[in-house]
Amino acid sequence: MLLHHKMHQSPRFRLYICLQWRKFKARIFGIIVLSAVLSVELWSAGGGLGLAMGLFLGALDNPLMQDQMTGRQQLIYQAKQMGQRSWSSCKAFAVMGFVFSAAECVVEKARAKHDITNTVVAGCVTGGAISARGGPKATCVGCAGFAAFSVVIEKFLERHT
Amino acid sequence: MAAGNAPSAHEREQIIGMMEKEMEYRVDMFNKLTHTCFSKCVENKYKEAELNMGENSCIDRCVSKYWQVTNLVGQLLGNSRPPM
Repeated sequence: MLLHHKMHQSPRFRLYICLQWRKFKARIFGIIVLSAVLSVELWSAGGGLGLAMGLFLGALDNPLMQDQMTGRQQLIYQAKQMGQRSWSSCKAFAVMGFVFSAAECVVEKARAKHDITNTVVAGCVTGGAISARGGPKATCVGCAGFAAFSVVIEKFLERHT
Repeated sequence: MAAGNAPSAHEREQIIGMMEKEMEYRVDMFNKLTHTCFSKCVENKYKEAELNMGENSCIDRCVSKYWQVTNLVGQLLGNSRPPM
C-alpha cells in the first residue's frame, strides 16, 4: 500500500532506498563488529576481575571448620566445594563484566562523547539484564542500583588516577 | 601557428601555477579541517594520552561531514555561478 505511488516505482527512488538500507546495515554491522572486538578485549579484564572475586567469595562462603580437619577426605571435599562455587560465581561475574563493557562500548560509540552518562546507561542495562526475571519492578531496581554502583566505582577510579 | 615549444612552455608555466595553487588550497583545507575537528571533538582537560572511543568516532564523523560539505559547496559553486 505504501509503495504504489508512481514516484516509488522509479529506479532512482529504488536505488535511493537500497543505498539507505545498505548504509543502515553497514552501520549496524560495524557497531556489532566493533563492540564484539572491544568487548573481547575488555572481557579479559572483566573475566580476570570475575575470577578474583569468585575465588575470594568462594573462600568466604566456605570457612573450613576446625573439628573436621581430622579427616583428610573431608578437607578435600571442602576444597572441591569451594572450587566449584568460586568457578560458578567467576562465570557470573565474567558475564556481567562482558555485558557491561559491551553496553558501554556501544553507547560511547553511538554518542561520540566520553561522559559519565555512558557508564550510567551501561550500568542500567547490565543491572536490568541481570534482574530481568523478577519482573519490571525488579528490573528498575536492579538498573538503578547497578548504575549507582558503577558510577561510584568510576569516580573512585578517576580520583585514583 | 608557432612551433610546439613556445606555447607548451607557457602552458607548462600555467599548469605549474595551477598545481601550486591546488597544493596550497589542499594544505589549507587540511589545516582547517584538523583545527576544526580537534577543537570540536577533543576536550580541553587532557586526562590521558590516547584518544577515547567517543573522541575517535567524533573525529571520524567530523572529517566525513567536513569532506561532504566541501564537495557539496564546490559543486554548488561550480554549477551555477552566482551573479555578483
